[in-house]
Amino acid sequence: MPKQSRLVFTALSTLSAVCALALISTSSIAAPDPAAGIAAPAPQEPPTLGGPATFRRLDEAQYANSIADIFDNSVKIPGRFDPPWREDGLLAIGDGKVVVSPSGLEQDELRARNISAQVLAEDHRATVVSCAPPSAVAFDESCASQFIGKYGRLIYRRPLDQDELRSVMQLARAAAKQTGDFNKGLETALARLLASPNFIFRVEHVQTDPDTGRTRLDDYSVAARISFLLWNAPPDETLLDAAASGALREKRGLETQVERLMASPHFEQGMRAFFSDMFAYERFDNLSKDQSLFPIYSSQLAKDAREQALRTTLDLLLTNNGDYRELFTTKKTFMNRNMGALYGVAIEEGGVGGWAPYTFDADDHRAGLLTLAGFLMLDPSHEGRSSPTIRGKSVREIFLCQKVPAPPGAVDFKLVEDTHNPINKTARERLTVHRENPVCAGCHSVMDPIGLSMENYDAIGDYRIVENGAPIDASGTFNGKSYKDVIELEKVMHDSASLTSCLAKRVYEYGAGRSVTNDEKEWIEYLNQRFAAEKYGVPSLLRIVATSQAFQAVSAATKVAAN
Amino acid sequence: MSKWNRRKVLKGMLAGSAVTVALPLLDYFLDGNGEALASGAPIPTRFGTWFWGCGVNAARFFPDKLGADYDLKPELAPIAPFKQKVTVLSGFNCILGGKPSLMHWSGVMGTMTGAAPSTGGVGVGSADAPTLDCLIADSIGNGTRFRSLEVACTGEPSVSYSMRTGATVNPSEVDPISFYKRIFGPEFKDPNAGTFKPDPAIMLRQSVLSSIKDEREKLLRTVDAADRARVDQYFTSLRDMESQLSLMLEKPAPAEACILPKEPMKSALGPTWEMTANSHAVLGQLMVMALACNQTRIFNMALSNAASNLRKPGSPVSFHELTHTEPVDPALGYQPQSTFFMEKSMETFAEMLRMLDSVKEGNGTLLDHSLVLATSDSNEARVHSIDSLPILVAGKAGGKWRSGTHIAGNGDPCSRVGLTIQQTLGMPVGSWGLGAMQTSKPISEVNS
Repeated sequence: MPKQSRLVFTALSTLSAVCALALISTSSIAAPDPAAGIAAPAPQEPPTLGGPATFRRLDEAQYANSIADIFDNSVKIPGRFDPPWREDGLLAIGDGKVVVSPSGLEQDELRARNISAQVLAEDHRATVVSCAPPSAVAFDESCASQFIGKYGRLIYRRPLDQDELRSVMQLARAAAKQTGDFNKGLETALARLLASPNFIFRVEHVQTDPDTGRTRLDDYSVAARISFLLWNAPPDETLLDAAASGALREKRGLETQVERLMASPHFEQGMRAFFSDMFAYERFDNLSKDQSLFPIYSSQLAKDAREQALRTTLDLLLTNNGDYRELFTTKKTFMNRNMGALYGVAIEEGGVGGWAPYTFDADDHRAGLLTLAGFLMLDPSHEGRSSPTIRGKSVREIFLCQKVPAPPGAVDFKLVEDTHNPINKTARERLTVHRENPVCAGCHSVMDPIGLSMENYDAIGDYRIVENGAPIDASGTFNGKSYKDVIELEKVMHDSASLTSCLAKRVYEYGAGRSVTNDEKEWIEYLNQRFAAEKYGVPSLLRIVATSQAFQAVSAATKVAAN
Repeated sequence: MSKWNRRKVLKGMLAGSAVTVALPLLDYFLDGNGEALASGAPIPTRFGTWFWGCGVNAARFFPDKLGADYDLKPELAPIAPFKQKVTVLSGFNCILGGKPSLMHWSGVMGTMTGAAPSTGGVGVGSADAPTLDCLIADSIGNGTRFRSLEVACTGEPSVSYSMRTGATVNPSEVDPISFYKRIFGPEFKDPNAGTFKPDPAIMLRQSVLSSIKDEREKLLRTVDAADRARVDQYFTSLRDMESQLSLMLEKPAPAEACILPKEPMKSALGPTWEMTANSHAVLGQLMVMALACNQTRIFNMALSNAASNLRKPGSPVSFHELTHTEPVDPALGYQPQSTFFMEKSMETFAEMLRMLDSVKEGNGTLLDHSLVLATSDSNEARVHSIDSLPILVAGKAGGKWRSGTHIAGNGDPCSRVGLTIQQTLGMPVGSWGLGAMQTSKPISEVNS
């Protein structure tokens, strides 16, 4: 096929310079091979100036985790949340761009009232109000200030300042007076704290480091960054105490808290949130596939596919502290009844009522994340068939941090139509024009081959060897290396530096709530080296980020609060 | 018309409903042009948008004849019963002026915001300026319990073409039961109820919001410069809510067409055609009653997203995919499967018009007292063309919009439509739009 390859090459080098550039510009800095070298001392963290402080809207999970941690799991969370927004590959970055819409605030206010009423309901009140006011009617200053001080600090993730405390106390007093009910005063105050932008958003405060003269986050904002990174939840009282005492400014104190958070069962919750964001799992929320084409599909199957992928990820990376790259080659997963039925495998007894560990046979056609239904079915734009283009784009964007440009506006899709032979049997045949037409080939040559490697799996991830009676050819090349199917492609990806540098970059951006700045490129290179030295262990990566100075640095453009 | 006079209205206002009459309405009443309800209250003008994805077949949609008595091609045929109340606009373009051509996004934002957007594509993105409904809500939306209401018919709350500058949409209600509860739940005050007692709990809620306002200054000092507008948006939403609450403390003006609907039954939500059509019927009826009961004056309905995921059950491909992959039938000259959805879209729009027109108000109907802007993201979705966007304006704005004609834009920016709508609704706007879309030329043919 010399003619075709020449065409693709021409297209790549000339017509679609945009595509090639986009891929190059985000491709990674090569990381050293850990197997090749002898353990060297950890390199010094290069100084960075950081980026702007962020103002991030709590997402639904963070809101729920906040309420569960501040009060308890019995409190129900009503109402609808504003839809999330994905930017530069992460919802966590989008959180820093979105506002609260008028109808969103309507829901926030409703939620605040409803939650306060639950928390201070007669059968629950004793767990949150420790003081006993002498009268149920009269306003008890000391009890109210104790309650508001304690919960205000947990809700705002920092102590209330004097003005804030005065304002909330005044409201509680007035409400108690109006209703003739002290408890109603507390309930109103709590609703006010929960509807405040200081709760609904994560507000980062900036201060000047007296030693270096550089701007950085204040202690409470550091605490919040760490706890949302590791737990996807606000700081608990111990972490707030550490912030108050200045302990987070000391290396040891910071490390102690990070270790404590990572040892907590909440760490898994945090990592679930991170991988759900990085892997774009919010797309499961409205996912639907045509049940008349895929009778086995149900919204429960979609939930199970997501859960299987997350369990596989967390078991390898957290429970077994495995090498991130092995996520793409591992034979180990978990099965329940639904997934067993989809994959056509017998499941252990434990998997009938729940999830049981499962290992694919050596010759099974599944290995690694890309062969699990949690990846294969995650295409909300195609309900009835698989799309190699979307799958290829997902691999590039999600796992390799390479941005594939959108097609130009003036594309005439007549090129994709084959009026003489409208029924091309396989996707490879249907997409021939993507490869042969130079206008399309530039970008599609970076997406379609990856996606075509997965054509052995249909739109819900079921295995197949033929499409419309024609055999499926899943072979291709990636980074100059050829593969015969997706399992071989995953092995090639395993050795690609882009795979690991993408994870490192995403972890940092997820925690900082913004894209890496130009100034931080050297630091990211340092992070890649450390990650490699840690044999691509994910807990180590999180630890390095959470305890770094870069994670606290804020560019001087951000004002130090005139507090 | 005959049942009211100035004295009666003033008497009614003195009896306690004065504050609920918003200023533009008072103007409207005083200029003597309008109609009034039997109760004496003037009939408000409503504004709505109705969006469908993936455009039309231009040759089967746009009339050949300009002016009144335009011809109805097959794709526009469903609106026949309401033809006298529908203005067809052709030849109005989204002009990019150096901005990128964002598929299934530039077109809809062009018409809705008067500005070609800078970022987005494949049906989502950000807005370079607020959408028309937000601007109109700022002007006439404060007199009702909801400043605006949004619904989408395919089950996805993020499907909404109502947004302020930036990336946040005003999310859509998708579940008829939740939508019903939000409007007609316990907080609904029947405007025709004989008695009214202000709820003291509302006053407590007002105190809460008022107390939160104490935090504004400090927050503005704390956040990065780029985030100050986002802080302000929160407090704008908060002030909107305060004014909503104030209204709930007053006896609502009677609304003779208001009939409390029943709670809808649970229904399946999704983009397969039957589900979507059913959602539209139920959500549409609730929306019509929300308007008739004076719960809002602004509404936004989205039949589907812009890169439309509508689908026939059992079909492996969506409407959007069909537009790009289905061959043009040489005998018919169009893509038959894609066209199914284009025809269904207009049938559904006609259904919405029927619902609006069946509510009698004064001497006319709810539709007569509304302006409904219906549009899509492209002309021919197959090639993402944004020239001659399909734009319809239904209703008469209480007699201020001369409907029932076909008007040619001759390649002018589609922002002219939005400018004309704002001016018709009495907004003091001399020019509208950004960049190449900026215009100060309203469409004079529609002004009576």
